[in-house]
Amino acid sequence: MSNVAAALIRSVRFRAEREADWRALEHIVTKAEKRGLQSLTFQEAQSLATLYRQAMASLSTAREISLDNALLQYLEALCARAYLAVYAPQQQLGGLMSRLFLTGMPGAARRLLPLILIAYLILALGAAVGYLLFQDDPTWYNTIVPGGLAGDRGLNATREQLMSAIYSGGDAGSGDLAAFASVLFSHNTRIAIFIFSLGVLICVPSAVLTFYNGMILGAFVALHADRGLLTDILAWLSIHGITELSAVVIACAGGLHLGQAILFPGDMRRRDALRYNARDAVKLAILAGVMLTAAAGLEAFGRQWIQDPAIRASVGIAIGLAWLTWLAFAGRKEGRAR
Amino acid sequence: MSPRPADTRRLLTDFIPPEGVPIRFTIAGLGARMVAQMTDILITVAALIAIMAALFFSDLLPLNGLLIVGALLFFAIRAPYYTLSEILMNGQTPGKRLSGLRVISADGRTLSAHAVTVRNLMKEMEIFIPGTLLLAGSDLDGWTTAMLLVWITILLAVPLMNRKRQRLGDMTAGTYVVNLPTPVLLPDLADDPAADRNHTFLPHHLDHYGRYELQTLEALLQVDAGALTKTARKIHERNLQKVAATIAKRIGYHRRLTEDEAESFLLAFYRTQRGYLENRKLFGDAREDKFHRDSPTD
Repeated sequence: MSNVAAALIRSVRFRAEREADWRALEHIVTKAEKRGLQSLTFQEAQSLATLYRQAMASLSTAREISLDNALLQYLEALCARAYLAVYAPQQQLGGLMSRLFLTGMPGAARRLLPLILIAYLILALGAAVGYLLFQDDPTWYNTIVPGGLAGDRGLNATREQLMSAIYSGGDAGSGDLAAFASVLFSHNTRIAIFIFSLGVLICVPSAVLTFYNGMILGAFVALHADRGLLTDILAWLSIHGITELSAVVIACAGGLHLGQAILFPGDMRRRDALRYNARDAVKLAILAGVMLTAAAGLEAFGRQWIQDPAIRASVGIAIGLAWLTWLAFAGRKEGRAR
Repeated sequence: MSPRPADTRRLLTDFIPPEGVPIRFTIAGLGARMVAQMTDILITVAALIAIMAALFFSDLLPLNGLLIVGALLFFAIRAPYYTLSEILMNGQTPGKRLSGLRVISADGRTLSAHAVTVRNLMKEMEIFIPGTLLLAGSDLDGWTTAMLLVWITILLAVPLMNRKRQRLGDMTAGTYVVNLPTPVLLPDLADDPAADRNHTFLPHHLDHYGRYELQTLEALLQVDAGALTKTARKIHERNLQKVAATIAKRIGYHRRLTEDEAESFLLAFYRTQRGYLENRKLFGDAREDKFHRDSPTD
């Protein structure tokens, strides 16, 4: 074996020939990590790609030919760092947001339009059932509407009490911002979160909760109709309700889309189908969040400032149409990219 | 079989970047993740307190309104904080940067904004929203509290249950949290051919050991004796002598070693043994450890 001792062994030569390149890569990667990729000069950015591929090839070779642990550990770590630098997320925040609002959310809403329509249908069915049940026997109201939600607008409320609730703006006095916050944390937000996330359980909880939400709505409207306040309550509801109920419906559609992945995974594993469907479902969840925030703003500010039922209704409908226009037309040209 | 290094269990072996060469990241430990999480929570709470104090002293709001706005703000600060910092800081929040952690995409590609959003929204669902309800909701009945506690406990236990330490959010987003490795290049012990002039080894000397023993010897020889304290150096020298004597006995080395040539003997042996094993490996005879003769593939 004396000839082995006389010459440099293969893995030593391998390392000696490439060490300078690795050091150069390490230098560039450190710079990119500390100051961001945009701080690299053109030369550096160019050599980052080349050196990275060379280092990966070296790692692959070294694993085969070298038993030098120092070298292997170094190359493993260097390649990992370089990989993270080369494949760093390169979105700009502004671009990300505008893409989300211009193509992401409207696109997802358009792709899942059937589900959204189904969710609307579920809500409408629930409302119809709630309304009819109330007409059949008003005591259903106490069963359907949870006590905390009804507040002083229970079954025994007089027409005057209901009137004052509609036209006082409810919880004024605690400050507009606080009212906004409390409205945002109200019943519907919690419901929307549950409706969305429980959709994973094969759609059932989403549909049931949406239906139930519709029933509450129906019974609530029926109570006011019974006291001869039908137009007033519709105007009162429409200013924020069109936005808010649509948000619940969209959350429901997102939940249904998740459940769809579990029910009908197609050729994929259920896990992968869920991950795939989550791309659009999450966009709907964010959309629902945006709409709920807007609805809370409308409820806390708009409903107190605007007292006339006709204006309330037209503002509500106008905002509803604005949502519709945005979702229907934004980013159509950019096409199918997800 | 040979003992394995302690962290091979936590090694991510199936992570393949587009170049097709697997990179072995180590999965982040739960301790490091806790530290990162605590740091992030501290930062968000500090931001919250600063804003709340500003609101409080500016007298814009009544006190009860302030509490509700605080709860809202906490969410409004926290959710974007995690998502944006992971997108903009390349898979790290400040807490993760502190404890050297990193989020990577399981498919080996760029970590997408979608994945980051999903894993952080799921974090809200898993821990923060039930946690906030539990801490802030004084009007909860016993059942709801118990349910929330069970929910949090189960979801905290999920990362303990799987080998890759994924939260539910990591699973749905397809991400791992890994340790950021530090590249340190130690000197090559075999690059000085003059070192083993005094020692020559014959092929039958070199058939005893395998990769594992070689790399253990390398770890011992890589110790920088200059950086040790006096007592530690003495121990190190004694170790070298002991190892040299053991190896000489095992391989049947023909010459008796004097005390001060232990290190040069080991260096020479390391170099020759490595050249020999690497050669064997090239010819398809990879020797994993000293039991290589017993294994059927040999």
